[in-house]
Amino acid sequence: MNARHIPSDDRLLAYTAGTLSAPEAVVVATHLALRPESARVVRSLTEVAGEVLDGLEPIALSDDALEAALARVETDGGEVAPPPLNDMPELPEPLRRYALGPWRWLGPGVRMRDVHAPRDGECRVILLKIDPGKSTPRHTHGGVELTCVLSGAYATDSERFEPGDLEEAGPETLHQPRVVSDEACLCVAALDGQIILPGVAGWLMKPFVRM
Amino acid sequence: MSDDIHDRQIEAVALHRDREAFACLFAHFAPRLKAWLMRTGATAQAAEDFAQDAMLAVWRKADLFDSRRAGASAWIFAIARNRRLDMIRREKRQPPAPELDPCAPESDQPDVLLAASQDATRVRQALQHLTPDQAVALRLAFFLDQSHSEIADRLGLPLGTVKSRIRNAMIRLRQILETPGQETRP
Repeated sequence: MNARHIPSDDRLLAYTAGTLSAPEAVVVATHLALRPESARVVRSLTEVAGEVLDGLEPIALSDDALEAALARVETDGGEVAPPPLNDMPELPEPLRRYALGPWRWLGPGVRMRDVHAPRDGECRVILLKIDPGKSTPRHTHGGVELTCVLSGAYATDSERFEPGDLEEAGPETLHQPRVVSDEACLCVAALDGQIILPGVAGWLMKPFVRM
Repeated sequence: MSDDIHDRQIEAVALHRDREAFACLFAHFAPRLKAWLMRTGATAQAAEDFAQDAMLAVWRKADLFDSRRAGASAWIFAIARNRRLDMIRREKRQPPAPELDPCAPESDQPDVLLAASQDATRVRQALQHLTPDQAVALRLAFFLDQSHSEIADRLGLPLGTVKSRIRNAMIRLRQILETPGQETRP
């Protein structure tokens, strides 16, 4: 475990405020489910948000607003049933209720599937599963990308990422970390940009696969 | 602290579907939720509809409230924020966002629960120890976009200044959270 592999304060603040993009929020929520110390910071920031809400100058609602709300309470049918769980019980809770696309082959020992979470423009959520000793696919960084390790571990030249660790990659990053655990490494990522398929296979596949 | 009264009112809604308690919560929070949404750029009518909708969610979810895990204001903020994210997603015809629930049971260990309730109290006290500049910047961060450029515009300050004020406010909050709990009044 590496203490640095946590979201920046700005990102935790944006997550709490609800201003983080949806795909990034899904990855951060996953990290929080795995890291109580980050969840604690978010809980504290939510208390700050509550204080901020409490301190706002109120703006009166129309006179019949309460009556209308109570009338809706009368006829309220309750919460809509939550969507069903997906086929991967090993996923942390924040990822369990999203439908998942089919696994797709990206190269030797590398597979991905879409998580049907809200997108934000080109940015979407994917699961990546990479076998021991294999490298993650190269990808262009159109924007910031967030990765959270769910199981297994990968390493770059200088750093190691284990379950719960969050990696923030900037547009300048073009690294190709390698899986260093005995088991396959499963990650969830908010990806903004296109994956470049590795090697000749990628070059051959490119016309056929839109990743 | 008014939060304690509101804690009891949410519990009364949960236990007895207490309409009077709900009316009190509505009187306090609905006008603030309306103000919050208008600050994020919504029209008065949209903000009013939103406040009603969020308060209905408070009614529905009251039995999930746990005052050991979150204060009333924080819990209602989280519910309203989730409603707002869902609303935005629905407009874009997208699936719902993950629920970000401050009462989510990370652990039922008594020491974790104690730490959570102490954190809540300490955070409220900590806010009073921020410099006014830090407090203003941090508050605005809950309404405006995450790049903080809108905050800089609003305050007429360079972006770097806004960023450093928010950063310093966060450092202060973290310091307070890392201080041992016994210094805090219950």
